[in-house]
Amino acid sequence: MKPLALLLPIAWRNLWRNPRRTGITLLVVIVGTWSILAFDIFLAAWAVNSRDASLRVLTGEGQIHAPGYLDDPSVSHRLPARADALLAALDSPLVGAWTRRVRVPAIIRSEYRTRAVTLLGVEPAKERMVSDLPSETVAGRYLKSPGDAGIVLGRDLAQRLKTRVGKRVVVMAQADDGHLAEAGFEIVGLFGASKAAEDEFCFTGLGTAQRLLGIDDEVSEISFDSGKQQTIRDVVARLEAAVPAVEVKSWMDLAPLAYTIERFSQYYIAAWLVIMFVLMAIGIVNTQLMAVFERTREFGLLQALGMRPRLILLQVVLESALLIGLGILAAIALTVLSVAPFHRGIDLGALAGGAELIGAGRMLYPAMSVADTVRSGLLVWLFGIAAALWPAANAARANPAVAMVEP
Amino acid sequence: MSPIIQCRAVEKVYRQGAVPVPALRGVDLDIERGDFASLAGPSGSGKTTLLTLMGGLDRPSSGEVAVDGQAITRLDSTRLADLRLHKIGFVFQIYSLIPVLSAIENVEFILRLLGLPQAECAIRAAQVLRDVGLEGLEQRRPSRLSGGQQQRVAVARALAPKPAIVLADEPTANLDSRNAEELISLMAQLNAASGTTFLIATHDSRVIARTHRHIEMTDGRISADERIGAAGP
Repeated sequence: MKPLALLLPIAWRNLWRNPRRTGITLLVVIVGTWSILAFDIFLAAWAVNSRDASLRVLTGEGQIHAPGYLDDPSVSHRLPARADALLAALDSPLVGAWTRRVRVPAIIRSEYRTRAVTLLGVEPAKERMVSDLPSETVAGRYLKSPGDAGIVLGRDLAQRLKTRVGKRVVVMAQADDGHLAEAGFEIVGLFGASKAAEDEFCFTGLGTAQRLLGIDDEVSEISFDSGKQQTIRDVVARLEAAVPAVEVKSWMDLAPLAYTIERFSQYYIAAWLVIMFVLMAIGIVNTQLMAVFERTREFGLLQALGMRPRLILLQVVLESALLIGLGILAAIALTVLSVAPFHRGIDLGALAGGAELIGAGRMLYPAMSVADTVRSGLLVWLFGIAAALWPAANAARANPAVAMVEP
Repeated sequence: MSPIIQCRAVEKVYRQGAVPVPALRGVDLDIERGDFASLAGPSGSGKTTLLTLMGGLDRPSSGEVAVDGQAITRLDSTRLADLRLHKIGFVFQIYSLIPVLSAIENVEFILRLLGLPQAECAIRAAQVLRDVGLEGLEQRRPSRLSGGQQQRVAVARALAPKPAIVLADEPTANLDSRNAEELISLMAQLNAASGTTFLIATHDSRVIARTHRHIEMTDGRISADERIGAAGP
C-alpha cells in the first residue's frame, strides 16, 4: 500500500468539508506568512539601503590605511606609493573595484566664513566605481581627472560658506613637512548627499592634493569593494595576510551604525517570524483540535475498520500540510502583488530628515529573493506541520469502540 | 473445525466514577464458521459490549477472546487494527461511511488498506456493490444515498476483504421495514451463497426470525443459545 496515494485525495476532500473553518485557518496562515515575507523584504531593503547609504558615500566595503591613520588621520600616516604586494592583491579577483585617496583634515575659507572639513584628493574615474557621490552633482560638474585643480563642495557647505560654483575658496592643511599648506581653488561643482556628508567633504584631484601636501604619489587610503562570490570578511583576511604592514578594515568596523542596522533587521525579522509563527500555530492547533474533536467518531470508525493509528496520524498531518501549503502559496502570491508596485523603489523624499537620522538613504528598493521566499515558506510549512502533530496524535488515539456508539 | 470466535469466561466492567458497572459476567461462547446468528436481549444486556470485545474494539476486564484461533486480548492497537482489517467485517447501527468518498471508493478504501493493487480493488469493489444490488450507484457519495442504500454499501465494505466473520450491530435499527427486510435478506443470501459468518446483535424480531442461531443475553450472561437450522455451506 502507498499511504500517500491513498490518503492524499481523502485529506484534500476533508479540507473542504467545513469551508468556513478551512477559510479561517487559511486566512491565519496567509496573513501570518505574508507579514513574515513582506516584513523580511521591506526590512532587508531598509538594511541594504542603510548600508549602501553609508558605504556608497565614501566607505566602500572596505578600506586600507597605514597603521595609526584611523586614530590620527593626518598626512603623516600614508600608504607607500609603490607596494607591489598590495597592488597585486587589489588587482586580483578578491577585489571588485578600488580607488586611492588622499584624505586629510583641512580648513576651508570663503570670503565670508571658515569651516573645518575633510579634504579628499581622488581619481575621478576610479572613484565612481566605489562611491555614488560623483554621480550626485547638483550644480556645476564633478572632477575630470586626478590632475583637476578645481574643488567640489557639498551643497550645504557652500550655503554655510555663502559661496557657489565659479567662486574661489582657500583650503589650508598641514603638509608633510609640518608647515600649513594653503592653496586657492575654484569651485567647479556641488554635490548632494546627507547633510553630514555635504558639510564635511571637499574633493579635488588626487595629484592636486598630493602637490598641496608635498607627498609625491603617496595616498592616505584605498577604498575597495569585494569581488564577485567573495565575502568581505574573507577579502579582509586575505588582504591582511598578503600585506601585513597595512591596516585593512571592513565596512562593519568603519560604519558601525550601518552594521548595527543590518544586524537589527536580521534579529527583527527572526523575532517577527517567531511571533507570527506562534500566533499562526495557535490558530492552526486550535482549529485542527476542533476538527479532530468533531470527527472523533470518524477516527474511531477508521480504526475499527482496520486503519492503523499511524495512518490516521498521517492523514491528519496531510490535511494540515495541504492547508498550510495552500496558505503559503497564497501568501507568496499576495507578497508578489504587495512588492511589485514598488519595483522602481520607494521614495523616502518626504521623510528625508527622519530617514537620514535612522541611517537610511532616500530610496528603498524592496526585492523578493526566491531563495529567501522558499526558505521562509518552507520554515513556516514545517513548523505548521509540527504544530499539527498534537491534534493528529489525538486523532490517532481515538477509541475504535466509539464506532459502536450511536452519536 | 475450530470456531471463528471463542469467548472464555469473558467479563467486562465499566466504571462510572468510582462505581464498577459490570456489563459482561463470564461469557462463554463459540461462533462457528458459516453461522448466521443473532445476538438478542434487552437493552443493557451486554450485546454491544460482547460484539465490541469479539471485534477487538475493546479489551475484556478478564477472560479470553480468540479470533480465528488467535488470542486477541493482549494485542497492541496496531495488531488489533490489522486483525480487524483482515478478519472482521463490521456493519454498524448508523451507516458509518466515509462521507468524502463515493460508494465504490468506500469499498475500495478497505481493499487498498489491505495492500491490493488499485485495479484489482476497483474490480472487486464494483463486483461487491453489484452483489448487494447497488449497480449504477457506485459514484454517489453517502449524502446522495438513502439509508437502506448506505447500509448496503456498509455491508459491501464489510464483505469486500472476504473476512472470517461479519459483526453487525443493530444494522436495521435506522431502516424502514422494506429496507430492513431487504437488508436481512441480502445478508441471509450472502451467508447461504458464500458461507460468510454473520453475528447480528439486534432487537428486531424479523431479523431474529431469519437467523439460524438465536443467542439470547440477559444481565451480561448468555441466557439461551438455540440453533434453528443448518449453518451456511
